[in-house]
Amino acid sequence: MIEDRSLTSGTPSDQSPEALQQTSRSRWVALVALLLLLLVVPLARSIIGPFNYVLQLLTVTLMWVAMTSSWNIIGGYASYISLGHGVFMGVGGYVSGLMLVHYGYSPFATAALGGLAAVAVGALGGLITLRTRGPAFIISTIALLLMFLLWFDNWDLLGGSNGLALPLPPFSPEWLRAPFYYGMLVVAVGAVWLSYRVAHSKFGLGLRAIAQDETKAEVAGVPTRSYKIAAFALSAFFVGAAGAIWGYSLSYLRPTVFFIIGVSAQMVLMAIIGGRGTVSGPVVGTVLIIAINEITLTQFGSSELNLVIAGVLLLGVLLFFPLGLVGTLRERGNLPAFLDWD
Amino acid sequence: MTNAVQVLILGLLLGGVYALMAAGLTLAFGVMRIVNLAHAVVIVGSAYAAYFAFQNLGVDPLVSAALLMPVMYLVGVAIYTTLFRRIEGSARYVEMTVLLTFAVAIVVEGLLAFFFTGIFRTTDPTYATDAFFVGDWFIPKGQLYASGVSVALLLGLWGFLRYTRIGYGVRATMQNRSAAQIVGVNVRRTSSIAFGISTALAGASGALVSYLFPFFPARHWQWVALLLALIVLGGMGSLKGAVVGAIVLAVASSFVVDQAGPIWGPMTFYLALFLILLVRPQGLFGKEVTI
Repeated sequence: MIEDRSLTSGTPSDQSPEALQQTSRSRWVALVALLLLLLVVPLARSIIGPFNYVLQLLTVTLMWVAMTSSWNIIGGYASYISLGHGVFMGVGGYVSGLMLVHYGYSPFATAALGGLAAVAVGALGGLITLRTRGPAFIISTIALLLMFLLWFDNWDLLGGSNGLALPLPPFSPEWLRAPFYYGMLVVAVGAVWLSYRVAHSKFGLGLRAIAQDETKAEVAGVPTRSYKIAAFALSAFFVGAAGAIWGYSLSYLRPTVFFIIGVSAQMVLMAIIGGRGTVSGPVVGTVLIIAINEITLTQFGSSELNLVIAGVLLLGVLLFFPLGLVGTLRERGNLPAFLDWD
Repeated sequence: MTNAVQVLILGLLLGGVYALMAAGLTLAFGVMRIVNLAHAVVIVGSAYAAYFAFQNLGVDPLVSAALLMPVMYLVGVAIYTTLFRRIEGSARYVEMTVLLTFAVAIVVEGLLAFFFTGIFRTTDPTYATDAFFVGDWFIPKGQLYASGVSVALLLGLWGFLRYTRIGYGVRATMQNRSAAQIVGVNVRRTSSIAFGISTALAGASGALVSYLFPFFPARHWQWVALLLALIVLGGMGSLKGAVVGAIVLAVASSFVVDQAGPIWGPMTFYLALFLILLVRPQGLFGKEVTI
């Protein structure tokens, strides 16, 4: 659990076993408390009255936690930056949406199917895009995204650019947001769990080796090509599932909701600001960016400025803290235990 | 037959402009290994400058192209000095250039959207909608002028790289950075000049596209993807490759548009990109580079 930490940030572990156990325990207490808190939040409605706004904000946060944590598997551990993850969100959204429109299955039941469809697209896309390394990979993921946008915009069966209207969810208005919140909570917990499991597997170690030096990794016996494709496909699953639930909560699917570079940009931004290649980094980054977005929206009421602020933040982090918040704090040895999930 | 020749004429004219748009991008990659995702946002920004110069002051876009070049050269040098010089020794240099230029792209896009909103604009000098007629074929004046300017600038660039002392330095740096340094090329200065030229070319092409295509802030993603597709086709960092890639893909997409409708033009570029990645990842004129 500790040995491979040196691969991500180069900090040797110099804590005594007792101290480690201590940190480990306080971390678990913090995480379980957080999860319990998240589980009971919607019930607060019966005490303080309707608060759909807060619930919606939390749902959005959980969605980005899920997507950024998933992106981190290929973009962080393997350090193959994908700007095309919007594709997976859209595939999940459309697959589950179509299952609802044509067969009446609730997207909550078919979210996993949406995720699997995204995995299939990821595996196929990865077969082609992962023939390249570095910049050419990034370019081909942009092309993949724009290709899907063009395709879905002109696919009449799916409503083209006009979009696809879904039947309204059968929930009572006062509890309308709660099911989406719980759905996203499951997806987000699943994504963080997957990220943790990957980080602590031989597979994850292989991905980190690829990130360090792909040629040496290959010489050392890491099956780099299949690992990369597996990582790309795996990173699609919870993005697709989140897309399925998000699409249902919008009750209207349009290609420009999913297949735009802004979606991928958010994942990159959140992961890098929080700390790529760490388990908690994407979560911390997501919370930070969502908070900043809320503040700028309420202060300036403009989403264009959000883009500017996001870009300036990204520039600052890249130039001065390339390891991100979690990575930098860990390197300096003062990462709080409750944020150390590796 | 008449129709095919007509489509070919339009494709070639378009290819000339794409070649100019891509030349700066491939120069930045060739000399400094910078994958500049902000290249097309500079083009869009310059298109806005040409648009407002035309609307408010009546400045012809072709004149704007000339005026924008020195201005954008300085912008390019400034960007190079403030951003890329800092990361010169970075272990993950190429990846850093992608992320930094990505950040620059969203900052500029956000600013453009904030000030000028997302509505479509086009500059409309009289020649933009006029044409010469040669027998059965027509040659749109606007596209002809734009291609003419592109060819002139590309020839100028070629001459500069071929016959000037700084041009030698740029080519030497493209071939082998450390060897160039050993034989006495000031690699830093050469890099900042090359990035300035790259940005100046983006500025000129921005003025040209301001009357060729409708533009809006987020349009740059589509353009940068098209441009990257064609420089991957040509072989990243190869100027000859960029020009050939631009012409091949522009002509091919013109025929696709003629047969299948305007929507499928960009698709030609993306499919060509995937095809080339499958068959020959280093591109037509590229060498196998390890990055």
